[in-house]
Amino acid sequence: MPCIPASSPGIPHQHQHQHHRALAGVGMAVGCAAEAAVAAAGVAGTRCGAHDGEVPMEVARHHEHAEPGSGRCCSAVVQHVAAPAAAVWSVVRRFDQPQAYKRFVRSCALLAGDGGVGTLREVRVVSGLPAASSRERLEILDDESHVLSFRVVGGEHRLKNYLSVTTVHPSPSAPTAATVVVESYVVDVPPGNTPEDTRVFVDTIVKCNLQSLAKTAEKLAAGARAAGS
Amino acid sequence: MAAEICREEAAKSMPAAAAGATAIARRRRRVEGFRFAAGSLEPPQEDADAGVARCGKRQRVAGARAGAGAATAGPCRPSAGAEFGSRWWPRYGVTSVFGRRREMEDAVSIRPDFLRGSTSSGKHHFFGVFDGHGCSHVARMCQDRMHELVVDAYKKAVSGKEAAAAAPAWKDVMEKGFARMDDEATIWAKSRTGGEPACRCELQTPARCDHVGSTAVVAVVGPNRVVVANSGDSRAVLCRAGVPVPLSVDHKPDRPDELERIKAAGGRVIYWDGARVLGVLAMSRAIGDGYLKPYVTSEPEVTVTERADDDECLILASDGLWDVVTNEMACEVVRACFRSNGPPSPPGCSRPKAVLPPPAGASGGGGGDAVVKGVDKAESDKACADAALLLAKLAIARRSADNVSVVVVDLRRPVP
Repeated sequence: MPCIPASSPGIPHQHQHQHHRALAGVGMAVGCAAEAAVAAAGVAGTRCGAHDGEVPMEVARHHEHAEPGSGRCCSAVVQHVAAPAAAVWSVVRRFDQPQAYKRFVRSCALLAGDGGVGTLREVRVVSGLPAASSRERLEILDDESHVLSFRVVGGEHRLKNYLSVTTVHPSPSAPTAATVVVESYVVDVPPGNTPEDTRVFVDTIVKCNLQSLAKTAEKLAAGARAAGS
Repeated sequence: MAAEICREEAAKSMPAAAAGATAIARRRRRVEGFRFAAGSLEPPQEDADAGVARCGKRQRVAGARAGAGAATAGPCRPSAGAEFGSRWWPRYGVTSVFGRRREMEDAVSIRPDFLRGSTSSGKHHFFGVFDGHGCSHVARMCQDRMHELVVDAYKKAVSGKEAAAAAPAWKDVMEKGFARMDDEATIWAKSRTGGEPACRCELQTPARCDHVGSTAVVAVVGPNRVVVANSGDSRAVLCRAGVPVPLSVDHKPDRPDELERIKAAGGRVIYWDGARVLGVLAMSRAIGDGYLKPYVTSEPEVTVTERADDDECLILASDGLWDVVTNEMACEVVRACFRSNGPPSPPGCSRPKAVLPPPAGASGGGGGDAVVKGVDKAESDKACADAALLLAKLAIARRSADNVSVVVVDLRRPVP
């Protein structure tokens, strides 16, 4: 994970159309309408449709999950990167090296596994944040589809039952030079907080990490181009 | 090099109440294991960074010993009269301790007579406490540069102006100094490429470091007034006739006016282990933290306080102290140390010296301590050093969860 994700201020429960060109490089997050849906319809077990319209169609199926239901919330952050998908994926897939692009990581130690599915890592967090550590298990690592998923299984933080999915796919407008990264998550709302609080907090961290990923991958791609010249 | 106060010396000089606090500290095994940062002294004729462990250095010192600030200066000059302005050298003490954190991310900067060469009248001394978060490099940049940026801003502000404009000018000076310091932290975060990594977070996140920041509480002590500029939740407190007078107000996100400012900027304050901006940062102002701007601004709040005959001391410290010690108690501890060390000495041709020789191998030692004059002066410096050390120990005894940095400045008027 982002050990401590947060959600964005100002756009709860609203769907917005993405103008890819104008918003390149800007992480956008959408709130979950599921809370309202649950209250209104009382339906359980339905697919969450909160991200429809925001998460690109090409990868939407990877970011689907069951309706969060009471006490849970979800969100998705989209980041555009001016680098080829292969470069971006090479950074994202290193479950054993979150510090390659994630901020707030002080250190990472593998407790089990060597980077493949089932790997368990203990991430220690930098000072100043409301968390000290996070223990995370790699659930999916799909090099064909560029999908990575991890679950938070412990640590000193307030995010219980956190499950994250990150996808990397070529940008439709510039397939060889730009990439769309989507990170979605579902998590329990901590006692005393609202779903909105939780999204603001988690989305802030996720956005910060994805912006850092963009810079890292763009630098990597620039280096590769220079070497190729 | 650092001046160290031996256990016997410290115990001997502490009054009963203070000794009681020390006894409490001694009875806790954990306290003895805490690391006190020894001070560092730059080569003679240069300003000293006092009381701070360098990034990557870890020094274990016995529980009763602590680094105390030491300084060096230019030639000693005679002075006349008992006016505040005639004092040549500030009397201060400083201590930094790790507390229960594994990393030292605080930094302290003490720059005596830092406006020399400018058009200021009388000596002005710079004191700064910087409590870093995320990593230490922003705090260390503040330690190295803040006083220089304030000097630059001061020179621009006073050029061609009357001295009478000093009070309003100081607010502008401090705001400009802080803004440039914040710019430098931002530029540093963006421009690092290759070369030698300067700090731990860069080794891991070379792309950007804008998740790192620092508090900054700065005091400029002049002959007639004390100027304080604060951004974050470190704090400056004046002790006047035994009563604490806050010279700064902590920038907590749930402070009503800060909460309103953040909301107006489109941000949110969320209670997540306390009030935090976007649920992330527990202070509403800081140097750095680019990812949280504009909600977390570096703009300081500035106070200008006229000095008075009954001023006793100025205390600057990080929240590692203030979270567990009230302003009242801090003032009382300092007063107790002052009482046990007697009144400040008259002004004269003296500079502070180390109470004890520096430990073997200390870098930069020697020259600054060569001249030993005015034993009384050394005693009054010892009072400040005792006070800073005792406050730090008290914070640890009260289980402060953070680094603790304390600067105590003696503001008492010397007895003619």
